[in-house]
Amino acid sequence: MKILIIEDEKELAQNISAYLSDENYLCEFAETFQQALDKIEVYNYDCILLDLMLPGGDGLKILEELKKHDKQDGVIIISAKDSLNDKIAGLQIGADDYLAKPFHLSELAARIYSVIRRKQFGNSNIIKLHELQIDLLAKTILVNNEPVILTKKEFDLLLLFIGNKNRVISKSALAEHLSGDIADMLDNHDFVYAHIKNMKKKLVDAGYRNYLKTIYGTGYKWEA
Amino acid sequence: MNKLLNRPLKAFTLYALLVLACSIPVYYFIVDYIWRSELDEYNEIVKSRIESGLNKLSLHKDEWEKTIALWNKTQPGTKIEKSLLRVSPPDSIYTIMRGKQSASEEDLERYRGLSSYIKVQGELYHLTIEINVEEAHETVFAIAAVTVLFFIILLAGFVILNRRIATQIWKPFHSTLDRLKSFDLNSQNNINLEKSDIQEFEQLNQALYQLIAKNISVFRQQKEFTENASHELQTPLAVLKSKIDLLMQNESLTESQSELIASLNMPLSRVSRINKNLLLLAKIENQQFAEDELINMTELVNQNLEFLGEHLIAKNNTVEMEIDEDSSVTANKSLVEIMLVNLLLNAIRHSQENGTIRIKLTDKDLIISNTGNNPLNKDTLFKRFITSSSNTPSSGLGLAIVKEIAYRYNWQVEYQFVNYFHQFSIHFRPQD
Repeated sequence: MKILIIEDEKELAQNISAYLSDENYLCEFAETFQQALDKIEVYNYDCILLDLMLPGGDGLKILEELKKHDKQDGVIIISAKDSLNDKIAGLQIGADDYLAKPFHLSELAARIYSVIRRKQFGNSNIIKLHELQIDLLAKTILVNNEPVILTKKEFDLLLLFIGNKNRVISKSALAEHLSGDIADMLDNHDFVYAHIKNMKKKLVDAGYRNYLKTIYGTGYKWEA
Repeated sequence: MNKLLNRPLKAFTLYALLVLACSIPVYYFIVDYIWRSELDEYNEIVKSRIESGLNKLSLHKDEWEKTIALWNKTQPGTKIEKSLLRVSPPDSIYTIMRGKQSASEEDLERYRGLSSYIKVQGELYHLTIEINVEEAHETVFAIAAVTVLFFIILLAGFVILNRRIATQIWKPFHSTLDRLKSFDLNSQNNINLEKSDIQEFEQLNQALYQLIAKNISVFRQQKEFTENASHELQTPLAVLKSKIDLLMQNESLTESQSELIASLNMPLSRVSRINKNLLLLAKIENQQFAEDELINMTELVNQNLEFLGEHLIAKNNTVEMEIDEDSSVTANKSLVEIMLVNLLLNAIRHSQENGTIRIKLTDKDLIISNTGNNPLNKDTLFKRFITSSSNTPSSGLGLAIVKEIAYRYNWQVEYQFVNYFHQFSIHFRPQD
């Protein structure tokens, strides 16, 4: 999987790359508008992470360029701008997703995962993991071919874990994933624990072996 | 309150009254003086005419006596008597009040008299001439009447002039006042004042222009600062967040290290939130949420209650809902949602264990209340960075954002402490 990180903040780009660097992902970098244009003209990427404010030009122009050449690369905008208008503009031109800075790397990884899956598998978007089978479009789950009913939040959690296999996800990242911007407004993140407990119980009851590990009570890791 | 122009009018009127009142006796004395001196002169003329007339006659002694007697009978107001004196004493002038011959005694007339001595053919005669003078009280009355008439004319003139001046001269002032009243610093539009050819108003306008231009620039700088600072902070925050996420992946972390790293997340997400909220405030102030639409409030409230449901019941709170069907407002949807979520979160955060949260929605207002012990400080509640309680740290901007959004749409925000309930209300139609 090739990923292009178009971001002028070197350190952030490297952190993203380090987080994603397992056997599946290969990251390349572009720091300026021109570098980015050069790269997208020559190569194809599975996913492009696009910062909107770049030295030398507006990131949205790169998006327009991609669409002009009918490139199929998935694009996730990562921007410090988070107004609704920016989001709408980005998504209308053809970005697949929009993530406002600052974000958790686990959130980004999950979104990259879902963008790549959508691009690659078209309509039959089914993930198979051991005895687990997830239909992303129908939002249904089978364990050993038996359906398991998860709530929307439990389903969201499961996808976050699948997109971050073998990585530790902090409790606050989970809380933000579940409740969006309001997570830190809440007194405690115990509700995360409740959802994870319920999800785990449903899966284990249906015969799925427990791959979810608690890390010192500070986070969780899906080992597969 | 008095009108500015009515003050000098009052003073002018009083002054005019005083001057005219003083003028009455002055007029009287002057008229009387002129009159008397004119009459004295006239008497002198009469005297010299008589003297020369009589001297021209050449009569015998008998005839002479008869003529004098005849004179005294036929010429009223003059009297000639033979004097016993040898040398003529100086003339004397006098004023005398005397009853008319025909009328009753009370009806006195004033006479001006000249008592003189004339020499006719070597003999000394005593001549008295008297002439009727207008009575003092009649003169004073006439003068007073005329003065009062003029005073009334003067007063009417003052009032009419005052009114005309007020409407014309004060026109630029009122126009400036109206424009100042409708001026909104938030809108960032420079004010446009009506030109005036009156120096004072033009000076006032110039001073206002300067003051407002300065205010606008300070206001703009302040907002730009907030927006830029927040913007610039987003990237380092993102770097920091990603570093922590990376650090967590380290396999060799001990439990205490791991907990330390996790504890970094709480303040970090708080900073991110404050930053996002400041950016949001700057955007609302800059009116970057332009598009309004008709929002079904009933639907919006229900959606968010569903989303927040688990948090609502987390503290074992009872939720009482009273939501009207088909309540709607016209506004920007994301702003209304932010306002609603902030109010709900505020109630959730500050509610007590086993407390009650009430949500009431009608076509006119939205009221969200939660149980509490003590009333909050109304004055500071909606200000930025003022948190009501120290044990539940928040960004301190939630209610400031609620107020800013409400202000944008002219909705009225109200806090009340009623029967141990903190009650926050948004009145969508405050003028009704």
